[in-house]
Amino acid sequence: MFDLLRYRDLVLALVQRELKVRYRRSAIGFLWTMLQPLLMMLVFQVVFSHLFRFPIPDYPVYALAGILFWNFFSQSIVASMNSLRGNAQLLQKLPVPRAVFPVATVISGVVNLVFALVPMILILLVTQHTLHLSLLFLPVSILLATAFTLGAGLLLSPLAVFFSDVVELVGVLLTLLMYMTPLFYPIAALHGWAHRIVRFNPVRSILEVFRDPIYYGKIPPLSHLSVSLGIALLALAVGAFAFRRSSDRIPFYV
Amino acid sequence: MPEPPRIALTGVSLCYRLAKQRIPSIKEYAIHWMKGALSYEQLWALTDISFSAHAGEIVGIVGRNGAGKSTLLKVISQVLKPTAGRADVRGRLAPILELGTGFDHELTGLENIYLNALLLGHSRKAVDAKLDEIVDFSGLGDFVRSPIRNYSSGMLARLGFSVATAWFPDILILDEVLAVGDASFTKKCTDRMNRFHDGGTTVLMVSHNAAAIRETCTRCIWLDAGRMLFDGSPAEVLAHYASDHGTEPVERRVGHLEGPVQQ
Repeated sequence: MFDLLRYRDLVLALVQRELKVRYRRSAIGFLWTMLQPLLMMLVFQVVFSHLFRFPIPDYPVYALAGILFWNFFSQSIVASMNSLRGNAQLLQKLPVPRAVFPVATVISGVVNLVFALVPMILILLVTQHTLHLSLLFLPVSILLATAFTLGAGLLLSPLAVFFSDVVELVGVLLTLLMYMTPLFYPIAALHGWAHRIVRFNPVRSILEVFRDPIYYGKIPPLSHLSVSLGIALLALAVGAFAFRRSSDRIPFYV
Repeated sequence: MPEPPRIALTGVSLCYRLAKQRIPSIKEYAIHWMKGALSYEQLWALTDISFSAHAGEIVGIVGRNGAGKSTLLKVISQVLKPTAGRADVRGRLAPILELGTGFDHELTGLENIYLNALLLGHSRKAVDAKLDEIVDFSGLGDFVRSPIRNYSSGMLARLGFSVATAWFPDILILDEVLAVGDASFTKKCTDRMNRFHDGGTTVLMVSHNAAAIRETCTRCIWLDAGRMLFDGSPAEVLAHYASDHGTEPVERRVGHLEGPVQQ
């Protein structure tokens, strides 16, 4: 895994290629990255502030921050599971460090997330008429989210190679996890066991570190920040460890 | 004090355990596991292989299809980790198990030169410095600016070989990729290999061409069913091979871009 440093140019090239492929495929290219979350936001706006009515001021901002986070998290995980299988040919012919593929996938997810922040800032200007200084904290939030997501990707991508149905299973689990994360509803709307489940969902912690500076215009409290940092680092450590252990077996199964 | 060997294999065995019988779902895996019946069909592609190769040696590897030749090259290339034994390799490795592994057909020749070299572990800077030489050697001229989906198989092979051999290697590994392109390009390739050899590169090559082995190799290894049957001079080994098979190893394909037979 430490070879990654030596192969950093390769990682960058793979990121570039992934972005190119993504943006070449559709007609309006990379505008799509910005447009898709906005459309999702509109859907949530209609469904949740008219049909279900959560008492959240500036609901579009709340929902959009959640959508951006969730897109990054879930798309990166699915893509990193496919990254090893997609490069089967390479993995059987060249001694590349296998981790370059999931790592490059998650990094290109970060780039997409950063692009998608542009329309979000416009929405902020429209709804709140000002930009809080707390936005400057976002790089730290994104770093935490990246460590957490990379950990999950490193853990799951070899599993997807060994067991072909892991991809389907994770798809279902991600949907479940999405409802367990307060993306489009406020956690205060829940009571009893549902509240407890969502409260102890680690993804919620990471989400809030991302959303607080955007929606509430404040840096998350230190207590919450340290818990989230712990979760992110733990996820990364577990993922890296699992990947290292199974890495040598990957070329036999792809 | 003699130089330590570039390649030292000690008791290398390799088993394709699940590749033969892949358990496709977690459910089945769990059922098998609970029954305590996780039995796999084992295929030993290599059994107890030991040999070492020093600087300047050109080792040819012969054997029938499925004898374990490609697997052996993959172990030495550090692509596959042996199930048992040790494979120590010292020095800069140029593994050419297949020409143009990792080529992206949507990218241009130039972009693929970068991608391919980066996959081989070189830095972008190192490619910048060698780019002109690589393009020049490939003889592709202005074609390097067009997407390689328009290339002929000969052109792809030229590009692949030019990148893979652009840097002087300590160990060069070739899996039946020598028959590249037309006569003039083959000549260029041979010249380059000779230059490597003069500089002390250790070469390992799989070939089905007895004449090529006799001409180029300083040593020959005969594999059969994953075991090393013979290790000696090319003439000696080829003679044993011929007396056993009734014929010397022969070229069995015309095409050269297809990869080695998967085992």
